[in-house]
Amino acid sequence: MMEAFEEASQASVPVRPLGRAIVVTSGKGGVGKTTTTANVGTALAARGARVVLVDADVGLRNLDIVLGLESRVKFHLLDVLEEKATLDEALVRDKRSETLFLLAAAQTREKEDVDTAAMVALVETLRARFDYVLIDCPAGIEMGFKNAVAGAQHAIVVCTPEVSSVRDADRVVGLLPTDWRPELIVNRLRPQLVKKGKMLSVDDVNAILRLPLLGVIADEPNVIVATNRGEPLALDATSVTGAAYRTIAAKIAGEKLPAPDVRPPSTGIIGKLGSLFGKRG
Amino acid sequence: MSGRRIVITSGKGGVGKTTTTVNVGAALAKRGKRVVLVDADIGLRNLDLVLGVEKRIVFDIVEVIEGRCQLRQALIRDKRFESLHMLPAAQTREKESISEEQMKAVIVELAESADFVLIDCPAGIEHGFRSAVAGATEAIVVTTPEVSAIRDADRVVGKLNAERIPLRVIVNRVRPEMVKSGEMMSVEDVCEILSAELLGIVPDDEEVIDTTNRGEPIVLDESKRLATIYDKIARRLGGDVVAFTNLEAPGLIGRLKTLWKAG
Repeated sequence: MMEAFEEASQASVPVRPLGRAIVVTSGKGGVGKTTTTANVGTALAARGARVVLVDADVGLRNLDIVLGLESRVKFHLLDVLEEKATLDEALVRDKRSETLFLLAAAQTREKEDVDTAAMVALVETLRARFDYVLIDCPAGIEMGFKNAVAGAQHAIVVCTPEVSSVRDADRVVGLLPTDWRPELIVNRLRPQLVKKGKMLSVDDVNAILRLPLLGVIADEPNVIVATNRGEPLALDATSVTGAAYRTIAAKIAGEKLPAPDVRPPSTGIIGKLGSLFGKRG
Repeated sequence: MSGRRIVITSGKGGVGKTTTTVNVGAALAKRGKRVVLVDADIGLRNLDLVLGVEKRIVFDIVEVIEGRCQLRQALIRDKRFESLHMLPAAQTREKESISEEQMKAVIVELAESADFVLIDCPAGIEHGFRSAVAGATEAIVVTTPEVSAIRDADRVVGKLNAERIPLRVIVNRVRPEMVKSGEMMSVEDVCEILSAELLGIVPDDEEVIDTTNRGEPIVLDESKRLATIYDKIARRLGGDVVAFTNLEAPGLIGRLKTLWKAG
């Protein structure tokens, strides 16, 4: 190992280990994939990592808006894949972070226009240049999902504490490569509703999905405001949600941290879930 | 006379298509209309859960199309509303299992014995969207007052306009206090951007999470304010002129306007 490292550092072009390509997916739309991608990416970059966020939602892009970069997008993913622009021309540097970049999706094209092999090659190229390649997956499990997953080696599954979201997440986990160990972010938890038995708890959700828990994000109206303004909460030192994203980034970067403590007891809605997922629940 | 065929669509996921389909459908059924809800989200079905009929599914739309069962065998009748039926999506199949023509044939057949066929469209604008729209002659576009949802809705409005499908908009999950403080777009802003006619305004209500998890349409409980709001939407769909519940105030439109000038 050490020898290989020394050899590499002596070479004229420094060889660095390939970055990790992580797809952020959910099955169900509107559960917070794009918000998660923007915030986790921002938090990783704030730690000094080189991060590129890839919007794989061709035709319905939004990652540019959440980052507040929509007026800086000149070229997009398909321009790069079709060699109409170079990667350097298409990468948009974040306003706030020197080491955070966006590769936007095409807005007026179709997901079927993306060539899967070219997408895989592009992610490989990005891994050579960045520590983290976060791929924001479209909703659903059609072609756009398949292309978003194709180049990744790891998945973060975003799920809200709702029966329909859990069911869709379970379906998506089943479609990911079997040797992956996807990690779970439970998003938009309202602890007071869980206490009243009106929302699934984190344990309820994970009794079905049984995935390593990467983080829990509470529902906060500030997220809507931040999204509309294009300012990720991950940089807000006073925000609880921002802190939660920074913890997730630390875990992704390999820091050993205790499990999040937002786990009120099981609710009883689980009865319904259990019958739905009888085999696994 | 054949019934109306309406697709409920949005572009963005998670804005409330399925909840809207179920509640508008139930509100119409409550007014005595014969209603069929069609789950077009093959592979990621959820309409059965929101309606609370998931344990009663025997056949699904793909089996109907493949001739494995009769259409009426696959229909599930709601236990609370006599005139409400639903046709489930297949869960373990792909959206490509159904062509646009096949979907259209099923919807047209359903409309022969219904007043309203409401088609719950999948998120996105891929194959699943195209087949869900194929059988419809009208559309309801659901959006939330968020920049990303409106941008996606705008894409869908463009596609529906190209197909000459008339549409109206439901603005979902409005938080009046955030609109007032300028932190959320107003309904007027949303309609101006989409240049579309308004069908309904639905406030954000955490009761929806609970009723959805329990499979009980919120319109079942007439004491709920959302029950009144969905009933108004049902009446507007039927052609009545019904005043909108006033929730809105002027809000932040500047950023969006620049966004749309560019696009």
